[in-house]
Amino acid sequence: MTDRPDPGELADAVRSFLEGEILPALQDPRLKFRALVAANALGILGRDLLLGAELDREEARLLAGLLGQGGDPGADGRALPALNSELCRKIRLGDPPEGSLPALRRIAELKLAIASPGYLEKRS
Amino acid sequence: MSEALRAALQHKLADLLGGEVRIDRFALLAGGASMEAWAVDAQTPQGPMALLLRRGAGGRIYRDALSLEQEHRVLQAAFAGGVTVPQPRGYLGDLLGRDAYVMERVQGEAVGRRLVQKPEFAAARKALPAQMARELARIHALDPAGLAFLPGAGTPSPLRHGLETLTAQLDALGAPYPALELGLLHLRTHLPFEGAQVVCHGDFRIGNFMVGPAGLASVLDWEFAHLGDPREDLAWPMVRNWRFRVDHLRLGGIAGPEEFLERYHALTGRSFTLRELRPFEMLGAVRWAIGALSQARRHLSGEERSVELAVLGRLAAEYQHEVLALLDEGEGS
Repeated sequence: MTDRPDPGELADAVRSFLEGEILPALQDPRLKFRALVAANALGILGRDLLLGAELDREEARLLAGLLGQGGDPGADGRALPALNSELCRKIRLGDPPEGSLPALRRIAELKLAIASPGYLEKRS
Repeated sequence: MSEALRAALQHKLADLLGGEVRIDRFALLAGGASMEAWAVDAQTPQGPMALLLRRGAGGRIYRDALSLEQEHRVLQAAFAGGVTVPQPRGYLGDLLGRDAYVMERVQGEAVGRRLVQKPEFAAARKALPAQMARELARIHALDPAGLAFLPGAGTPSPLRHGLETLTAQLDALGAPYPALELGLLHLRTHLPFEGAQVVCHGDFRIGNFMVGPAGLASVLDWEFAHLGDPREDLAWPMVRNWRFRVDHLRLGGIAGPEEFLERYHALTGRSFTLRELRPFEMLGAVRWAIGALSQARRHLSGEERSVELAVLGRLAAEYQHEVLALLDEGEGS
């Protein structure tokens, strides 16, 4: 499917509509806040469509490395639930693999690039 | 529905207050999946009353949250103990199929981001640290003997009980979160499980206080009261999410922690360094991350459809990052 607008462009169109036309027309502060949250959700969706697959591969690579499965060429997004579960199991048993903290921090940063890209700059 | 509820309430209030009651205003303020709040203005034998009705709206959502009957009892104990709370006016039992109680309706602003950011609350922000310390000192002095239903009561270490509850809540999410597992592992090895045992508010932070121009007008939201370590309540308002983006002011985005802690120390005779509070700030960060993910599950399960709750599931990336950042800072200490 190559029709335009592509999914990201559609999400962006709805986000612009909410921000540009709906938000200024709203009076109720609670409704206004939820409309802002909705616009933000569409921003997350747009970034996920753009970056999600690549970041999933990076997450899978980092997790496979931690779990000693580094050579696995099939490590992609589909392997993520199993990799995360296995890491959780080890940590719950009190035995986190060496390097868990920096790897998980890197993964958290990848997720922030989608969920909240301004967060790390604003964090003081 | 609203009319039937109003009639039922009028009847209950007449029994409670011992005479004829006429309800002049009956308005839904907030209705979530778990709780409704109604503003009620009534003529009573004791004169006009501005009341807030809290009424259940279906299933219990949080593990270890109090029932409305228990919450009302905690509120009574807090009121009797001099904590600045809305005066509880009575537990009503079943009100058209749902639990309910009434309390005094206090005016003011409760929304955290407005309190932290708006210029008109500058004087309130100045007054709040000492007021928060005073309230916590009073809460932590409450006698737990009459509140045996509180989560953690009767356990050797209420703090350990709280951590086990949190772990169960993470498991109930049904998805793996290694960053939070790492946080929990740190807590299992670093929390001081043998500390003092006091009545904790459990959600003591900006956003759960009614605030007027002169500062704190009442401490709200008692459903997470439990028996625990006083440092849980001291560190919770410092958790980054409760600074409402004013990160450099560690106490709820309104002030540094010094005055708050000094006042609390002076009033209670207890003394905690910021370093001693660190594991409790980590506990708060993990608790909030799991809480946010649990709230997103309410949307996903269809229990309470809400774009706000849905987005929390993704914003949880921030809260997990915070847990990891605190772990990083804690390495070497």
